[in-house]
Amino acid sequence: MLEIIDLAKRYGPVVALDGTSFTAHPGRIVGFLGPNGAGKTTTMRCIFGLARPDRGEVRWKGTVIERDARLRFGYMPEQRGLYPRMRVAEQLSYFAQQHGLSGKAANAAAMRWLERMGLADRAKSKLEELSHGNQQRVQLATALVHDPELLVLDEPFSGLDPIGIATMTEVIRERSAAGVGVVFSSHQLDLVEDVCEDVVIIARGQVVASGAIEDLKEASGRQHLEVEIVGSDGAWLDGQTDLTVLEHSGDRIKLLVDRSVDLDALLARARAAGEVRMFAYQPPKLSELFMEAVAPDEPTAEVA
Amino acid sequence: MPRWRSVWLVARREILERGRSRGFILSVTFTTLIVVGSFIVPALLFGEDKATKVGIVEPAPAALSTAIESTAERFDQKVAISTYPDAAAADAALAEGAVDVVVTMPADLSGPGEVRFDKQTDPGTAQVVSAAMIGLRVGAVLGASDVDQGALAGAQQPPAVGAREPQTEDDQAKFLVANIGAVLILVGIFSFGFTVLTGVVEEKQSRVVEVVLATVRARDLLMGKVLGIGVLGLVQLIVFVVAALVAALVTNRLTLPTTTPGAVALLTVWFVLGYLLYSTALGFLGALASRMEEASNASTPVTMVAMISYFVAIFAVIDDPSGTVATIATFLPPSAPFVVPLRAAFDAIPAWQIGLSALITIAGIWVLFAIGARVYAGAVLQVGGRMKLRDAWRSAGE
Repeated sequence: MLEIIDLAKRYGPVVALDGTSFTAHPGRIVGFLGPNGAGKTTTMRCIFGLARPDRGEVRWKGTVIERDARLRFGYMPEQRGLYPRMRVAEQLSYFAQQHGLSGKAANAAAMRWLERMGLADRAKSKLEELSHGNQQRVQLATALVHDPELLVLDEPFSGLDPIGIATMTEVIRERSAAGVGVVFSSHQLDLVEDVCEDVVIIARGQVVASGAIEDLKEASGRQHLEVEIVGSDGAWLDGQTDLTVLEHSGDRIKLLVDRSVDLDALLARARAAGEVRMFAYQPPKLSELFMEAVAPDEPTAEVA
Repeated sequence: MPRWRSVWLVARREILERGRSRGFILSVTFTTLIVVGSFIVPALLFGEDKATKVGIVEPAPAALSTAIESTAERFDQKVAISTYPDAAAADAALAEGAVDVVVTMPADLSGPGEVRFDKQTDPGTAQVVSAAMIGLRVGAVLGASDVDQGALAGAQQPPAVGAREPQTEDDQAKFLVANIGAVLILVGIFSFGFTVLTGVVEEKQSRVVEVVLATVRARDLLMGKVLGIGVLGLVQLIVFVVAALVAALVTNRLTLPTTTPGAVALLTVWFVLGYLLYSTALGFLGALASRMEEASNASTPVTMVAMISYFVAIFAVIDDPSGTVATIATFLPPSAPFVVPLRAAFDAIPAWQIGLSALITIAGIWVLFAIGARVYAGAVLQVGGRMKLRDAWRSAGE
């Protein structure tokens, strides 16, 4: 279990982290979300000792992380980077050895991952000779080559084509199923919804929402209702105060309703208005949860 | 995983990646060729002491050429004499280098005559030729009187000329070896120290440093990098020295002094110490920069210190190898790598001073490394513009 406990970090006048806390369990893929500048990268850097928090600590399996624990972690930083002129297989082997593998085991692991990434024939190429997408694959392989217990990926999907995204998704799911802890950040919320079990949403250096995606949706005060009534112009909704019309096109109306709404009564009113073709009650999308969570508590006036 | 393994892996990567690069192989080959060439080419061109070529403009006194030859012999010089029908022809020969000096003298000895060189007057030759010409005229005057001709010839014998403590060839060779040594140390520090600098900036620029530092401690990375590139520097130095010694022995250009093995050992030790000191400084200053152009700015102080140290060493030691300045410079880490081998070449440094100087320099390297590793750790992950030394130091507190 990865525990982020009350991390705080300032860079001069800029507050990067302001009491960030959350927990990630192996076997459950965690999506780490937040607007730009919210503190995602700083949190990840704290896990790897690349940034020194002013306050708080990071624990893995109950103990504060030291270098030996970090050797069993895999990291893919947001700013991708490898040695451009180093041969691909040697590069992977080098990083595997830096994580404690013997030379022989490292070479074998490097080849295994190159095969897995479909790059076995490029083993002796220099990294800079590979296409952008293939360099990204090598970067992922670098994070995985030593069979880590915890995988931390900063924006792993950015810059990937659909095939790359499929490979990345597959690898993340497979590692998680194998009991590896996986935390990754992303702005592609549909992907996160698809891949993750848990999410942590961070804004202004603090966690504003965290937990299983299902639970968060369930707990959200804002549920979606889509209703289609033949020949209705929506007049049946007049007087209803606990809902908001999101979209109205033809016979179809999309509504945002409070959890407290009496669905039975609403359905009865809809039936009275005409022939009900559709009455679909849906939880909100992750992107909506996200927008809701990261919205400033008190909206600040913006001067144009 | 033990730390030494981490350091070793970094060093090995540097050695393999850079050692196999075309740049390194070319530079080793090139320097070797230049060293060997600088011994072999002069040996081919100036195989023997060549005779000074003297051109005499006709008409000239009949005894002139004999007089020049016999005077030259007394001064232990060789001359080859040719004659030219007029001054214009002789000048043309002078201009194209067929003769080194042109001599004009009235055949009846009525005037002092003229000795003309092409661009520069060679005092030795001028002395020989002038003595011969004056001898001829004096002889003619005295010959008319009843002077003892034997005594006259005796009186024209030049005095013995020599130095009180003649510099032996051994001394010259020693100084040459030491001087080459100081230059080698300077060049080595610059070329391999700057390899460390650019290596650090490249890692920062390609962002790979974040991946590396997720597993490798910053100070281990800096140490491995300095050591790995140092091994390559040492390889280049050894190739250079071996090539030079072999070429010197084969061509017989330089009689190697008996102290050569000691001098080479001292040179190697101080090359290593000087390199470690300066490359550590360059390495962590490089971490402050985020682009190559900034790196050369960041490294300016180190470059200045190295240049000043080198010149202080050369001038102070040549002035007085055991003087105050030379002695002080011996115990300052930045100048010690240049001063100690130079003073040793003059046999002007006691063994205890060499030992103490080495200890002080090693301590200096250690302190610099401790400071450098922390600055490096604080700076190497920062991007965007050049970082201040103080900020880097603060952001990496342990």
